[in-house]
Amino acid sequence: MATRTVTVQRPAPMDAPQGVVRSGAAVLKGMWIASRHFWRNFWGFVRGKPTVFTVQYPEERLQQPPAFRGMPVLVQMENGKERCVACGLCEWACPTDCITIYPAETDDEIERYPRVFDIDMSRCMFCGLCEEACPEEAIVMSHRVEIAAFSRRGTVWHKEDLLVPLRELETTRFPHIRRTYESPAAE
Amino acid sequence: MVKITVDGREIEVAGDTMLLPALIEAGIHVPHYCWHPKLSIDGSCRMCQVEVEGSPKLVIACNTPVREGMVVRTDSPRVINARRGVMELLLVNHPIDCPICDKAGECLLQDYSYNFGTRQSRTEEPRRKLEKRKDIGPRMILDQERCILCRRCVRFCREITKTNELAVFNMGDRSVLDVLPDTPLANDYSMNTADICPVGALETKDFHHKLRVWFLKKTPSVCPSCSNGCNITIQHYRNQIWRLMPRRNDAVNDTWMCDHGRLNYAFAHDTERLRLPMLRRGDKLEPCGWDDAVNRVTEALRNAAKRGAPERIALLASAHFTNEELYLLGQLARVLELRHVDVPVVVGTGDGFLIQPEKAANFTGARELGLAPRNGGRDVAGILELARTGQLDVLYVCGADIARLFETSVWQEALRAVPTVVVQDLFTEPLGRFAHVLLPSLSWAEKSGTFTNRKRRVQQIHRALDPPEGQLSDGEIFARILAQLVEGDWRFEPAAVFAKLCAEFPAFSGLSFTRLGLHGEQLGV
Repeated sequence: MATRTVTVQRPAPMDAPQGVVRSGAAVLKGMWIASRHFWRNFWGFVRGKPTVFTVQYPEERLQQPPAFRGMPVLVQMENGKERCVACGLCEWACPTDCITIYPAETDDEIERYPRVFDIDMSRCMFCGLCEEACPEEAIVMSHRVEIAAFSRRGTVWHKEDLLVPLRELETTRFPHIRRTYESPAAE
Repeated sequence: MVKITVDGREIEVAGDTMLLPALIEAGIHVPHYCWHPKLSIDGSCRMCQVEVEGSPKLVIACNTPVREGMVVRTDSPRVINARRGVMELLLVNHPIDCPICDKAGECLLQDYSYNFGTRQSRTEEPRRKLEKRKDIGPRMILDQERCILCRRCVRFCREITKTNELAVFNMGDRSVLDVLPDTPLANDYSMNTADICPVGALETKDFHHKLRVWFLKKTPSVCPSCSNGCNITIQHYRNQIWRLMPRRNDAVNDTWMCDHGRLNYAFAHDTERLRLPMLRRGDKLEPCGWDDAVNRVTEALRNAAKRGAPERIALLASAHFTNEELYLLGQLARVLELRHVDVPVVVGTGDGFLIQPEKAANFTGARELGLAPRNGGRDVAGILELARTGQLDVLYVCGADIARLFETSVWQEALRAVPTVVVQDLFTEPLGRFAHVLLPSLSWAEKSGTFTNRKRRVQQIHRALDPPEGQLSDGEIFARILAQLVEGDWRFEPAAVFAKLCAEFPAFSGLSFTRLGLHGEQLGV
């Protein structure tokens, strides 16, 4: 196998006095930046007009733009049931195979519902393909992001945990879905 | 043979057929719903229309005989336009509930709509409201809204089962498929109507709302439920069988299979299945390692044989075993010079069509491989009598479905009187509880090999499900026992064992797994 060698021009090693001066300067520069922020924030705090951008999570939360993709959730209709009919298209579309569905039959007008609907959030990569595949607008990417758990089993979300009332989603993700997937240009 | 020109290409086809089968044979795809290779011609769907030179109108390929010099076009603008029109009409009243329809994914209406239809519906009128989820028989449900009235199922019930349960009622745009009053679709082949239904109108209750079909993996196999050897496809997912479907083989089962065979699969992934070998300690069976179990069997066989009395050992092999496994059992019988060898089979009723009386797949194979009482040996009844009267040291019973041959008390009395009873089966019940050594067996879906059907056709089965980690197959168990009894290369590798078998038995000569292929081969004389 042929190898190609590239000779890299490295700076000549510094002698002791020059090195001390240069690194000393870098330390002072860093301290200058940190103290500049400190004094600016301190002055703002004293004046009652803070200039920091830090959000005091979890007491304070930012509003996400409609296109933001948080964890996928199931739409819960007014009667408390899921909109999902367990067609399995999201399960098929999912590139990480994180969705598991077992369908079953009911006596309702729509005869099919998911008996089991599990999403393994530790595998989900928030691509939104499930939302795109869904023919019923039943699984959507919510703005929820709190999916941390203390065990691997805790990262698997079951149907009851995944249900999110229609009202919450109407204002967050739905406008984006309708704009993207239902406009004639998207055809 | 006659020559016809199709889309500018000259092909040679059989002269006595209709155009559609000839085109399919030649590999030219013409969409069709009502035509089926094993049913009469109906001509009701109008989907297979093609242009034939000299004919003023388009003709339906399924009902136009082939003639010399015919010039056919299957892709002209007229044909494409006609197909689009037919698709639009078929979809006028179709409910399009694909997300909840079990057929979605293998539905011809979906496929043809995608390939030949229009993208938008032009109707604003409400669709026809008919009965959905109608219970039409013990194993079938009907969704009248989805039906496109191709009448395949009607012809199936008229021509194949001759039971005439289904019919199309009313006329014109009020036509509706239904069962005749007080005539449920309950014949032994009713579930085939779900296979031939091009849409999701007829569905089996067994698979209803179970799984989307695109998840299923398909492994060609042979039905184990009787000696007819219907070719099937095992459809499995997550190491579980979800349904069995017939696979076309004109020499055996055409495109059909019986309902009993189709529904007889749940035992393969039953959670009660025996997974570890067991040894009797006192009056309890306790799990043990494979080596312990095999050693115990070998020791018992060796001790009994050493006393110079092979007639104190009896072997009841199972007619559910593959030829390869039975061949190894034959070797075992030869090595130990056994005389009491039998392959009992449960005999039920047959119907002269597909269902055969012998309720095991490979009893013919066992006969062909010479597994039968020899030199004055006894058959199963005789063996049990010997056992009862204390004339046996070892009794090796495989496949406990033969328990049905006698009353439980008969088995109990016989097996209790034998010092070493080895049972090799899928479950602990019904015979396992009498065993001293209990060996777990594998179901037909977990192993590869060959079955010989009652017409002496050798056909291959393939492994669809993965057996649990570390579990030996039946062949491997026999190979291990043999390896301890005699020197020799006794590894169990189905193809290699089949090659040995073919070299030894003249009827099998010249066969190999490759040669058997998907449809099997007839045994020689």
